[in-house]
Amino acid sequence: MNTHLTLALRYLWGRKLRTTLTTLAIVFGVLVIFGMNTLLPAFTRAFQANALALADQTDVTITNKTGEAFSPEVVQTVANVDGIRAVSAKLERPLNLPADYFDKDSATPDRVTAVSLIGGDPETLRTMSFYNVEEGRFITAADEGVAVITKSLAEVANVKLGEALELPTPTGVARLTIVGLLPGRLLPGNEEVLVPLAQAQKLLDAPGKINVIDANFDSTDDARRAQIEAALKTALGVHYTIGVIQAGAEILTNIKNAQAIMNLLGTMGLLMGGFIIFNTFRTIVVERKRDIGMLRAIGASQNTILSLILVEGLVQGVIGTALGLLLGYGFGWLAVSAFSSMVRQYININVAGPSVTVGLVGLSIALGVGVTLVAGLLPARAASRLTPLEALRPTVNESLFKPLTTLSFWVGLVSIGLAMLALISTNSGLIFFGAVLFVIGLILIGPALVQPIARLFGLLLALVFARAGTAELAEGNLTRQPTRAAVTAATTMIALAIVVMAASMLTSVSSTFTTMLKNSLSSDYLLMPPTIALWGMNVGAAPKLAEDLRAIEGVGVVSTLRFAATQINDVAVGVLGIEPVSYQATSGFTFLEGDQASAFAALSRGRNVIVNGLLKSSANLKVGDELTLLTPTGEVPYKIVAVASDYLNAKTTTAYISQDNIAADFGRTEDVMLRINRTPGANPAKVEAAIKEALKPYPQFKMVVGQAYIDENLRLFDSIFFGMFVLVIFLAVPSLIAMVNTLAIGVIERTREIGMLRAVGATRNQIRTIVVAEALILAAIGTALGLLSGLYLGYMAIVAFSALGFPMDYSFSSGGLILATAAGLLFGAFAAIIPARQAARLEIVQALRYE
Amino acid sequence: MSLIQAKNLTKVYGKGDTAVTALDHISLEVNAGEFVTVMGPSGCGKSTLLHLLGGLDRPTSGQVLIEGHNLTDLSDTKLTELRRRKIGFIFQFFNLIPVLNATENAALPLTLDGVKSADAKAKASDWLNKVGLGNRLRNRPDQLSGGQQQRVAVARALVAEPALILADEPTGNLDTRASDEIAALLRQISDDWGRAVLMVTHDPRIAAYADRIVFLKDGTIVDETRLETRNLDNAGLVADKIQAMA
Amino acid sequence: MSVRNALLGLLVQRPRHGYELHAAFEAVVGGEQNWDVKPAQIYTTLARLEESGLVEEEAVEQDAGPEKRIYAITPAGRLALTTWFQAGVEREHQRDEFFIKLMLSLVTGEAKPRKVIQTQRTRLYQNLHQITTQRHQANPKTELARILLLDKAIMHLEADLRWLDMIEARLDEVKRQPLPEPEEKPRGRPKKQMADS
Repeated sequence: MNTHLTLALRYLWGRKLRTTLTTLAIVFGVLVIFGMNTLLPAFTRAFQANALALADQTDVTITNKTGEAFSPEVVQTVANVDGIRAVSAKLERPLNLPADYFDKDSATPDRVTAVSLIGGDPETLRTMSFYNVEEGRFITAADEGVAVITKSLAEVANVKLGEALELPTPTGVARLTIVGLLPGRLLPGNEEVLVPLAQAQKLLDAPGKINVIDANFDSTDDARRAQIEAALKTALGVHYTIGVIQAGAEILTNIKNAQAIMNLLGTMGLLMGGFIIFNTFRTIVVERKRDIGMLRAIGASQNTILSLILVEGLVQGVIGTALGLLLGYGFGWLAVSAFSSMVRQYININVAGPSVTVGLVGLSIALGVGVTLVAGLLPARAASRLTPLEALRPTVNESLFKPLTTLSFWVGLVSIGLAMLALISTNSGLIFFGAVLFVIGLILIGPALVQPIARLFGLLLALVFARAGTAELAEGNLTRQPTRAAVTAATTMIALAIVVMAASMLTSVSSTFTTMLKNSLSSDYLLMPPTIALWGMNVGAAPKLAEDLRAIEGVGVVSTLRFAATQINDVAVGVLGIEPVSYQATSGFTFLEGDQASAFAALSRGRNVIVNGLLKSSANLKVGDELTLLTPTGEVPYKIVAVASDYLNAKTTTAYISQDNIAADFGRTEDVMLRINRTPGANPAKVEAAIKEALKPYPQFKMVVGQAYIDENLRLFDSIFFGMFVLVIFLAVPSLIAMVNTLAIGVIERTREIGMLRAVGATRNQIRTIVVAEALILAAIGTALGLLSGLYLGYMAIVAFSALGFPMDYSFSSGGLILATAAGLLFGAFAAIIPARQAARLEIVQALRYE
Repeated sequence: MSLIQAKNLTKVYGKGDTAVTALDHISLEVNAGEFVTVMGPSGCGKSTLLHLLGGLDRPTSGQVLIEGHNLTDLSDTKLTELRRRKIGFIFQFFNLIPVLNATENAALPLTLDGVKSADAKAKASDWLNKVGLGNRLRNRPDQLSGGQQQRVAVARALVAEPALILADEPTGNLDTRASDEIAALLRQISDDWGRAVLMVTHDPRIAAYADRIVFLKDGTIVDETRLETRNLDNAGLVADKIQAMA
Repeated sequence: MSVRNALLGLLVQRPRHGYELHAAFEAVVGGEQNWDVKPAQIYTTLARLEESGLVEEEAVEQDAGPEKRIYAITPAGRLALTTWFQAGVEREHQRDEFFIKLMLSLVTGEAKPRKVIQTQRTRLYQNLHQITTQRHQANPKTELARILLLDKAIMHLEADLRWLDMIEARLDEVKRQPLPEPEEKPRGRPKKQMADS
């Protein structure tokens, strides 16, 4: 093994450039997979940390399935169950705080972005959990305007015992005098503010309601506890969950979708890496035939040869993976910072940094090293199978790999056909699979396409290079080895396909979203809560605010949104209550099914609902369906009258009903977002000042000028798209390496031929030209196929997205197509530089002696 | 006992109309301490014979026995082992691994056999000294002349102390002086170190170093010559020869 | 022939005894094993040189034998020597015993031509083997002249062997050509001019 390592290291060191390039391919693949996969867990973790309600000292926590508040009668039901020892009823709500709420300093990051307001009966609270009051006292049932907090919160909020803590509530800013301090909070999750139940009900505008019941069993025996839990379930019925509040579950689905796309890109990157390694090893084996033959002659076994080559690959694989992990972490870090700002709009959480789990590291290592080994295996095996004689006296027509038969051509054609069929189906899973089939199919029929394309392009080149001889030679070289040409062209094809696909996807997404954006946020002013889309955790405002705003001179329309959580067919859904008339004035939907006029009319008329695209596909709904919304008071039937999406809620499952209905069925009158339009001719400055004044008691809202908001979002889009483009360009690099390698093999295999050409009078320039011509033809093939597949894949992606619930229009600029073609060809010319130089530099005599 | 025996060796390439008979029922013996040269015009099959004797290729019919072992019975693994331990090869060119130095190259048969690196290198240095390359132990092939490279190849061929040395046009790539040196070395291998040496060449001067010349033509042996080495009374012969040229 | 010119060359240095000339000659040709010339031949040659007027006796000792006579070179001798230096040495290739043998075997059928060639080849290889061995044993520091001569022998042997290969390859062609038959010539035909001996 020692020899193997020594030899491998020496060989690698001897060809530093190639080693670097090959290792780079692996680095890249691992970087993308590892880096991408640190993002999701990071976000999820931060997300979950906030949503988690710790119940470490209670046995069960009971909530309504919708997460909404309910009647205290349920407490009795629970207490009556046999085996329940103690029960505690609470009204709990996480309050999202606006940015820089406590420290008023935008430079330093906020340590506390949300607090949990917990209202309960002090006696029962203390029976369920241990509260160690270090200073002051605990709350009593009779208290008003007081709270107990932890020392850590007190420090962040800069309040001392006896001072008042200010919190935004729907009814305005609440001032709570701190009467007791608990030890600093060590566990993850929100800081708690403890108040008496009545106080909480008043602050949260939910009189007489609770939303959490904690219960303890009277036995520690597992079997008995299971019994009790079962009995509890029966007693409560289907509308209650035994467990933990899951706020914002609807966002998780969305994140998972994004993750899938990232993984697809990462896999492509790794595949490319594999291709490169395969190509490189083929080169190596061809170059080292002599050495291999000699080694076999003096007694190296087949296994020795195999391991020699594999060890060489392994070294590169290990180094590449290690580097990839390091750079991937850095990449993840960068991505988190970049995405954080965008995500913050939707989820008010602090994302610490990329999340690295042992499992992910293990997987990345396995993939990086694994792909290297697998890719190198075929060439290594071919090398080990060489008999000493074959290797010592190579013949001209040798090809280590059997040429692809016509069978594979037909298989490829069938693959493409199947892929097209998949496109017609509306199943997104099938469509993605079809994409893979398409690419594989193209690769398989590649060799058959080489000749016609080479011929065509050769003619073109003959015009460009006046001495027709060189172009013909180049063309001839390629058509004699269609497999090798096809494999090389394949890598160019993949790279270009991804570029084109990503580009078409991005332009489509961009144009769709821009339209949607302009539609949705076309009001003059927006009053935004700390986060969008996670409405449930925001503190809204009681209807009074809207009334005050309407009273302002110069304010034309005030349109509000109200929020409630529910479930449809076991899918978590956010319900938004809108006022159809004012809503139309300040923003619009993008209707997929149904039309605006009749839909809005229907909303006002009765229990009708508009569902968004994502909800439609997640829950398999269609217009005309009757569905039941789960409310705190039971199940209520609604009818779907249209399918439409709006920008703010496009990524979460959302249903829209009238505000009357949301008040009636869900008991919600809290406005979570407001949109304001000025009357025509009103003085903007005055109106703005007046709005700001009205907002003073409600620090949870931020006033944003509509146009500015749109611009900011568009800018955000641009930066994300730019980032993705850069990533995609990255993918082109491995393809470059592959092409250089193939051309290099070509030069080596034709050393004798080149020597002869030179001896017969070809100049160095002409030799160079042949290699360049060959590269251009290869690039042309790859580009042609790449464009084809890229356009197809882009179209497929759009269809898939529509099936998923994000309807989009397909668009791609012709300018972009031309640019891509030019890039592909230039690429080929660039790749030819080194091999061409090598070929031109061959010494005639040496070359002729080369057997 | 003869060290290496070829019995009725035949090698045919191709089939039917296009079949080419490279060797036609050749029988040959080489004993320990003998230095045999195989000569003949291009295409006569001399390299093929060497390949068959060295287990690099399999005959169409006939047998090759090395120290009594029948090569045709052996599996590829066993053949490979044989090449490591019992046979030393010297080729015309591209003998050495370019990324290893002289000692490492010479030590290859041993390291491939699992011998510890230190021991293998010690033996290799020893042989390199014997062939006169003691001051070039650490040089890489591109730092050695053609003759020196071949001497490393010789050392490598000897390092596992094999019974048989097979040389395929070992001087084909060298100038006169270097060729003489290599030929003299081969002579020494059979004279002083007692191995059997079989060499294929087309250079008469080099061939003359051997004990025996076997002439091949169209796949068969057409003549065999013994070259006297122990005849002391050769001065007269030489003189006559020179005089005749006057 | 070359003995004549060698003696002239030795005498141009200074006049010498006949005995001295023998020793000097041996030294110049690199030793007796290379070219064994008997003293008698030297003296005979000297006599002929004297006859031709290329050398002369310088001093005569009473009743001395040829070995004691001192010889000196004459102006004519010097001229002859200069001419010799300036002219190339002619090589006589056409007289080849082996060639005759081969032709005779073809004509008479008394021996198989191929066998004749093989036998010759064997002989040449044996010679080559011996000369090569000697050359290897010679000390380049002290016997360089001898080594050079051995190298020449080796090269000639190589050439001969190559020629043999060529003949062998074209033997069939030669067989097909009309063989040189001695012609019936009328007597009295003038003798052919012999080449210089």
